[in-house]
Amino acid sequence: MKEQDKIYSSRSQRTGKFITTGAKIGRNYLKHYSKRLISGEDNQDALQEKNAEDVYDALSNLKGSALKVAQMLSMDQGLLPQAYTTKFAQAQYSAPPLSYPLVVKTFQQHFKKTPGEIFDEFSRNSVAAASIGQVHKAKLDGKNLAIKIQYPGVANSIHSDLKMVRPVVGAMFNISQTEISHYLSEVEERLLEETDYQLELKRSREITEACAHIENLEFPKYYEDLSSPKVLTMDWLDGFHLDKFLALNPSQEIRNKIGQTIWDFYDFQIHNLQQVHADPHPGNFLFQEDGRVGVIDFGCVKELQEDFYRKYFQIMRPAISDDDAEFSTLLYQLEFLLKSDKSEEVNHFKEIYKEILELLGRPFFSETFDFSDKSYFEKIYAMSDIFKNDKMVKNAKAGRGPKDAIYLNRTYFGLYSMLHSLGAKVVTTSAVDSLFIENL
Amino acid sequence: MATAQKKSSKKEVDIRSMIVEKYQENLLLEGKNPASVYAFCKDLNITETDFYAHFNDFGQVAAAFWMELFHKNIKALKGSPEWEEFRTREKLLSFYFSFFEQLKSNRSYVLLVLDHKMFNLKKGSSDLSELKDAFKNWLNQILNEGRSREEIAGRSKFNDIYDDLFWYQFLFLMDFWRKDKSLGFESTDEAIEKSVNFSFDLIEKNAIDSAFDFGKFIFQNR
Repeated sequence: MKEQDKIYSSRSQRTGKFITTGAKIGRNYLKHYSKRLISGEDNQDALQEKNAEDVYDALSNLKGSALKVAQMLSMDQGLLPQAYTTKFAQAQYSAPPLSYPLVVKTFQQHFKKTPGEIFDEFSRNSVAAASIGQVHKAKLDGKNLAIKIQYPGVANSIHSDLKMVRPVVGAMFNISQTEISHYLSEVEERLLEETDYQLELKRSREITEACAHIENLEFPKYYEDLSSPKVLTMDWLDGFHLDKFLALNPSQEIRNKIGQTIWDFYDFQIHNLQQVHADPHPGNFLFQEDGRVGVIDFGCVKELQEDFYRKYFQIMRPAISDDDAEFSTLLYQLEFLLKSDKSEEVNHFKEIYKEILELLGRPFFSETFDFSDKSYFEKIYAMSDIFKNDKMVKNAKAGRGPKDAIYLNRTYFGLYSMLHSLGAKVVTTSAVDSLFIENL
Repeated sequence: MATAQKKSSKKEVDIRSMIVEKYQENLLLEGKNPASVYAFCKDLNITETDFYAHFNDFGQVAAAFWMELFHKNIKALKGSPEWEEFRTREKLLSFYFSFFEQLKSNRSYVLLVLDHKMFNLKKGSSDLSELKDAFKNWLNQILNEGRSREEIAGRSKFNDIYDDLFWYQFLFLMDFWRKDKSLGFESTDEAIEKSVNFSFDLIEKNAIDSAFDFGKFIFQNR
């Protein structure tokens, strides 16, 4: 037995499936990688192509919520160059699949029937994997359907997964433990929501109905009678994932059209609905050659509280920092500045936030914005590096910024990088303008 | 004539399952075996001859519970139109999933006997001895089919211990299920999935076989 165990583990490492044989091997592997990253003279090295590849290889072998967190962090922290972010976003689409007998069992449990009895056709193998489930393709009455089935025990494992990933990821991405606790508590809440497919069904319907007027946008129809807490049935959408779509060399006109659609979609959600599809990674969008965009997976939705919403966007107002008193008040209210900060810290942080806000708000401050602008994104990456390596930030005892902002920042970050990959020029008029004017 | 025979055999089956059912109920309520076969039969309104036509003692009755479950399970599996297309791995997965699904409706009884008989992975329980033989038989059948389809690697002498190893897996899963506190026994589903995948990754053709093959080649060509 022993010998076989050994051979198995080396084989699985080779094929990169080590995490399935046990979290233990995976943990060691990650530790090994994080050590290598930390011992590098300059953290900038981590951005090098070669290391990014290593990080990508190590992380793409994680599964479930641990993968999700690593994936989110790598994007949020700008650790991986764009090419890898896209590749990584799709890593979760190749997690080890649920066996067909378990799929059958899940169906019998929830619908008292097997997939074969319900559908005219049902793909026995999954056609795609989401982070907490997998997707099968089926046919019923001539209609193509996508059926998402959740892995068993996901909800129970989220807490322990996040606990396990905390020290490793913290070291890997060079984030302090206080910062990461701040981050993970919000993430845990969203992930738990994601395991509730009934809630997803409800939200999908609400948002897709409210956004039905936006041109060139497509949503699947959801089928309640074929859904349960662990199974979600919707229309099958055609289209390409971002990287495949870009490989088709779409014209600038089409890119702009798509970029505009996505921009309008997000702007409407954030400012009119005040709840937002907070998972804008490329895997959740399907692009068509004529410039239509399909949006799938409403598992991760962030509802914005009125009070937070107003403060968050007031601080994004152009030239807000000219009014020092109001700028400071908002920074304190949003917990970017803390009562315990010494005056030198206050001044230092204010300078940093001023620059960050000016940079991130730039698309809002003009009529149109060209997201293909490489220098703009290099500035953002450089900025996040400066911020991360800043001594005062590193020594901070508490996480900064409101918890609610984590997913909203993520949403904008994902939106910006997707528009950047598309190289789209977008008319960035926004419903937020009225809020700006109101406060002038 | 034929119908009469059919009737009587049906009646016998009825008595048989009646005995098993009553025995279970008795054990659940009293927590121990009936005082005697005599008392048991009186309770059930059958003669001792009826009882001994089917069983020699209560131990066999207890074993019959597991056998009924097993046969019902196999029958249900074979009734599914997809069964013949399944790979061996999927057959075993389906077996476990539906077996534990059926166990659910008998959970109190199973908990009682597996506790009561001091469930022990090494010694095994006498209740399960018939199940063990039937399971191993069936397993060897599907393993052989798997071998003839070249899904499973033939490894000469090792082939003979596979059925024992899978029996331990089955016991492990039963023990896991017994202690499972998760909602809807979700953790057992995971345990089944992971343990079956692990075992089949081992017994399907893999690096072990090419390593052995390569080693043999080098040895012979020195």
